[in-house]
Amino acid sequence: MKLRRRISVVLPFVASACVFFSLTSRAYQWFGSNPHDPVTPGSANEKAEFSWSRLHYTAAERSFAGFGYGYRGSWSWSRDYPKADRQFLMALRRLTRTNARSTEQVVDLDSDDIFNYPWIYAVQVENWSFTDAEAKRLHDYLLKGGFLMVDDFHGTSDWEGFLSGMRMVIPDRPIEDLSNDDEIFHVLYDLGDRFQVPGEQYVMTGRTYEKDGYVAKWRGIRDDKGRVMVAICHNMHLGDAWEWADSPEYPERFASLAFRIGINYVVYGMTH
Amino acid sequence: MFQWLFNYPVTAFSRGKFVLLGPWPKTVLCLLVVALATALALVIRLRLRHAATPLPGWRIAVLWTLQSSLVALLLLLLWQPAITVAELKPQQNIVAILIDDSRSMGAAEHGTTRLAQAVNALQSGVLDKLHQQFQVRLYTIDTQVTPALDPSVLRPSAPATHLGDSLRRFVAETSDLPIGAIVLLSDGSDNSGGIDLDTITALRNRRIPVHTVGFGPETFNRDIEMDDAVVSPHSMAGSRLNAWITIHQHGFARQPATIEVRDGAKVLASRSIVLGADGKLQSENLLFSAGDAGAKPLQFSISLLPGEENRLNNSLTRLVNVEPTQKRILYMEGEPRWVYKFIRRAEDSDQLVQIASILRTTENDIYRQGVRNADELKDGFPSSAEELFAFQGLIIGSVQADYFTPAQKDLIHQFVDRRGGGVLFLGGRFSLADGGWGSSSMADALPVNLPNRRNTFHRASATVELTPPGMDSLICRLIDDPARNAERWKTLPFLMDYQEAGTPKPGAVVLAEMKVGGRNLPFLTTENFGRGRTAVLASSGNWRWQMSLPLGDTSHDRFWQQLLRWLVADTPDQVVASVPNQILFDDGQVKLSAAVRDKTYLPTSDATVEAHIIGPGGISARVDLSPVPNRAGEYQAQWTAPQSGSYLTEVTAEHAGQDLGRSVLTFQRMDGVAENFHMEQNRDLLERLSADTGGRYWRPQQLSRLLSQISYSDAGITVHETKALWNMPIVFLMMLLLTLSQWLLRRKWGVV
Repeated sequence: MKLRRRISVVLPFVASACVFFSLTSRAYQWFGSNPHDPVTPGSANEKAEFSWSRLHYTAAERSFAGFGYGYRGSWSWSRDYPKADRQFLMALRRLTRTNARSTEQVVDLDSDDIFNYPWIYAVQVENWSFTDAEAKRLHDYLLKGGFLMVDDFHGTSDWEGFLSGMRMVIPDRPIEDLSNDDEIFHVLYDLGDRFQVPGEQYVMTGRTYEKDGYVAKWRGIRDDKGRVMVAICHNMHLGDAWEWADSPEYPERFASLAFRIGINYVVYGMTH
Repeated sequence: MFQWLFNYPVTAFSRGKFVLLGPWPKTVLCLLVVALATALALVIRLRLRHAATPLPGWRIAVLWTLQSSLVALLLLLLWQPAITVAELKPQQNIVAILIDDSRSMGAAEHGTTRLAQAVNALQSGVLDKLHQQFQVRLYTIDTQVTPALDPSVLRPSAPATHLGDSLRRFVAETSDLPIGAIVLLSDGSDNSGGIDLDTITALRNRRIPVHTVGFGPETFNRDIEMDDAVVSPHSMAGSRLNAWITIHQHGFARQPATIEVRDGAKVLASRSIVLGADGKLQSENLLFSAGDAGAKPLQFSISLLPGEENRLNNSLTRLVNVEPTQKRILYMEGEPRWVYKFIRRAEDSDQLVQIASILRTTENDIYRQGVRNADELKDGFPSSAEELFAFQGLIIGSVQADYFTPAQKDLIHQFVDRRGGGVLFLGGRFSLADGGWGSSSMADALPVNLPNRRNTFHRASATVELTPPGMDSLICRLIDDPARNAERWKTLPFLMDYQEAGTPKPGAVVLAEMKVGGRNLPFLTTENFGRGRTAVLASSGNWRWQMSLPLGDTSHDRFWQQLLRWLVADTPDQVVASVPNQILFDDGQVKLSAAVRDKTYLPTSDATVEAHIIGPGGISARVDLSPVPNRAGEYQAQWTAPQSGSYLTEVTAEHAGQDLGRSVLTFQRMDGVAENFHMEQNRDLLERLSADTGGRYWRPQQLSRLLSQISYSDAGITVHETKALWNMPIVFLMMLLLTLSQWLLRRKWGVV
C-alpha cells in the first residue's frame, strides 16, 4: 500500500520530467549551439547597398517567448536572431540583384544612426515601447522615407500591445488591410494568393495559428502619397519560417512564401 | 588757328595730295639738300676750328642743323610745293542736311530741346551760307529719310531711330543725284544696334562724307538706365528662372537701389543692390518662379531714384512662355538601390516631370514604374528611336555598358546628339568606369574623361561643396541667396558613397565637388553635347540628405527636381518655332522660323508648316512657312505685326497626313519705348560714322567752321584744285624762326 502510494506520487513527476527533458533536448537539438550556429561569412564586414536592420527596442515587459535561436537575456526584439536574418539574406542575395550585406545589423532609436538604414524589421512588437524621443525618431524616420516591417505577433492581445506602441509613433493614420492586388504583393513575386505562415510550433502542434490569431492579416500604414511605410504581418511568423527553412520538418511551402513575402517587402521598400 | 597758319583747313590737307610744281625732278632737290648740308658741315668745321672760343660737338651739330633746315626750306620753296584737292563745284552739288526728329531729340537741355538746338544752329547763318555755295536739301531722319521743307515746324515725334537703314536707303534713292556731302544732326541714339558695314560701304562707294553734329550730353549727371535683361524665353511651369539684369548709372555711385520683376501687378521677386561706379556696366541676377503656364510679359525694373534726368529708362519688358507640357524621363537602373527610391520620391511632387523607370530586380526580371500602360517598356530598354525619343530625358544608373546592345548604345548617343535630350549618369558599382562606359560609344558624349581602370566606386563617405559655377547655377540653388546657399551646401550630410569620375572635359562645367581624404573630385558635372546635354553625378549616396536632414527639409527633393528639370527643360520637340527677337520696337516686321523633325528626329524637308497668329484687337492671320534652301527641316516666313501689343503664334507641321507636332511662341510689338533708352549722345557712333566716310564730327557751336571744310569732298561734281603752299604764313614764320634762333645761339656761344 505504501509502495503504491509512493509510485502514484512519484510517477507523474517522473513522467513530467521525462517529457520536459525530452522537449528541452529536442529544443537543444534545434536550438543548440554547435549544429545550428550560423556561420559568420567571410564577407561579414563588407559595406553594401542594403543592410538587413533589426530594430532593437525596449520591451514593455520581459518576454520569455523567445524559443528562437539567439534567445539570450529574454529580449523579444531578438526573436529568431540572427539565423532568421542571415537565412533571409542568403535568399535575398541569391534571388535578386540587391547588393545586400551578408550579415544583419541591429539598429535602435537612441541615435540618428538609424537614418542610415532606410529599411528595418521588428518582431514581437506587442512588447515594444518607446520613449517620446524614440517615438519621434521613428515617426520622422518613416515620413522621410524609411520602411518598417513588423512580424511575429499574434491575436487580439498582441495587437493591442502593438497598437499602443505604434500609436505613439503614428497616431493619426489609418491601418488598413493590404489587398491582394496591392503593389507590394507584385513588385517581384506575384503573391495574390497567400496563406498563414506559422512559426516552428507548427511542427509540434500542427496549428498555423498562435493564441487567437486564427487568420493571417497583412496590413499597412501609408504615407500621404499612398506608399506603404509600415508593413504589418499579424498572426504569422515569417521570421521562424526563414530560420527553419533548412529544417526537413518545417514545410517548404511556408518557408517559400515567407521568403517571397520578405523579398517583396524589401524590393518594395527600395522602390517606393 | 590752323587755317590762319596754313591758309587752308585741315580737311584740305587730309584729303589733298602734296605735289611739287617745279620743273626739276624731286631727286635733284634731294641731292641739292644733301650736297648743301654737307658743304655747310665742312665750312662750319673749318671755320670753327680756328674760332677763338672752341665749341663742343653738340653745339656745332645744333648750329649745322638750323642752317641746313633753312637751306632745305628755301630749296623746297624753289620747287613750288602745293596740294591738289577735290572740291565741290559751287552750286552744282547737293548738300543733304539730315535732322534727327526722333523722340530722343525732344529731350531738353537748358530749356531747349535738342531738335530746337539743331534747328537754331542751322538757322544761325549756316543754312544761308550753305545755300550760297550748294543746293541744300533738308530731310528728317528716323526710321527713314523724309524730305522736309521748313525746319522750324519739325517736331521730335518719331518713335525710333534707325540711322544705318535710313542712310543706306537714302544713298540708294539718291543714286542719280550729285550729293556732295551729308550733314547729320542727331544725338546718335540709334535703336537698331548701330550702323552696319553695308551702310558704310554704300557711302564709301559714292565717296559721300558724312559730317555729324552731336546734340545732347554724352553722359547724364544723374540717371540710372537698364541696359538689358536676359532671361530664358521658355520655361516649365513652376520652374525657377534666373534673370541677369545689366544697368549703368551716373550720379548715384554706392547708393542702394531695388531691382524687381513683375508679372502685371504681381511682384515675382525683388532684391536690394548697391550701385557701382559711375558709367560702369553692372550685372545683377534675380531669381524668381515662373509660376503657372502662360505667355508672360515680365517687366524688369530698377527703382527710380530722386533727381533722375531720364525717368523712362528704368524698366524693360521680356516675354517668357511658361509651358504646361509634362516632360518624361526614362530611368534605367541596374539593381535595387536607395538612390532609385529617393529620386522617384523626389519627383513625385513635381507635376511636370514624370519618371518612367526600369529596374533590374533579378538577373532576368525587370520592374517597371511610372509607365503609361501595361505595354510601355515591357520589353525593357527601348530598341527603336521612336520609342526612346518619346522621352525628353534619360537617367542611367548602375548599369554596365554591355547590358545595352550596340544599337541601343548608339540610340542613347543619338538621343543626346540628334534628338536633343538630356542624359544623366549616376555613380554606382556598375557605373561609369566600373561599368565599362569609358570605352563605349557614349564616351565622347560624357562630360568627363573617365579613369582608365576599375574599382572607382567606393562605399565611403564624402562631403560636397559648390564650385564657383555651381554657386551661380539654378540646379544647385537650395536657398535663393547665393552666399547662404554656398554655406548651406557645406552643412549637407555626407554622401554614402562616391565614385571617381575622372577629369572634366573642356567645355564641361563642374558644379559641385566631393571632398575625399584631401582630394577634390567632381560630384556634378554637366555639358552641352550636340543638340542636347549630358551630366554625371558621381555618387549614389545623396539619399542621406533626405534621411538625415530634419523632417520637412526639402533640400534633397529640391536638388533632384532642379537637376531633372535642367535635364529636360530645353529638350526640343519635333516642331520648334522661334523668332529672332521677341520684342519688336516700333517695327512690326518679324521673321518666323520653324525646325521640323520626324518621330526619329530626322529633319523633315517636305512638311506643310503653318503659323496661326492671334494678336490684339482680334487680329488673326495664317502664314505658310516655306522651306529654307539647303537647310533640311528649316522653314521660314516674314510677317508684319500691324499694331503694338502681344501676339500668340502656334506653328503646326504635318507630313503625309500625319501631325508632326506644334510649337507655341509669343512676341510683342512695343511702339515708342526704344527712344526712352540710350538718350545720351552717342558720340562714339557719330564720330565713327564720320571718320569711316571721310567726314568729321562737330559740336553745334563749331557748325560755322563746317562751311569752310564741307566743300572738300570727292563726291558729287568736283574739281581738282591746286593750292600753292609757298605763301603760307607758317613758311615765313619757320624761316624767321630758323634764322633768329641760329643767330641768338651763335651770340650766346660767342661765335658771332
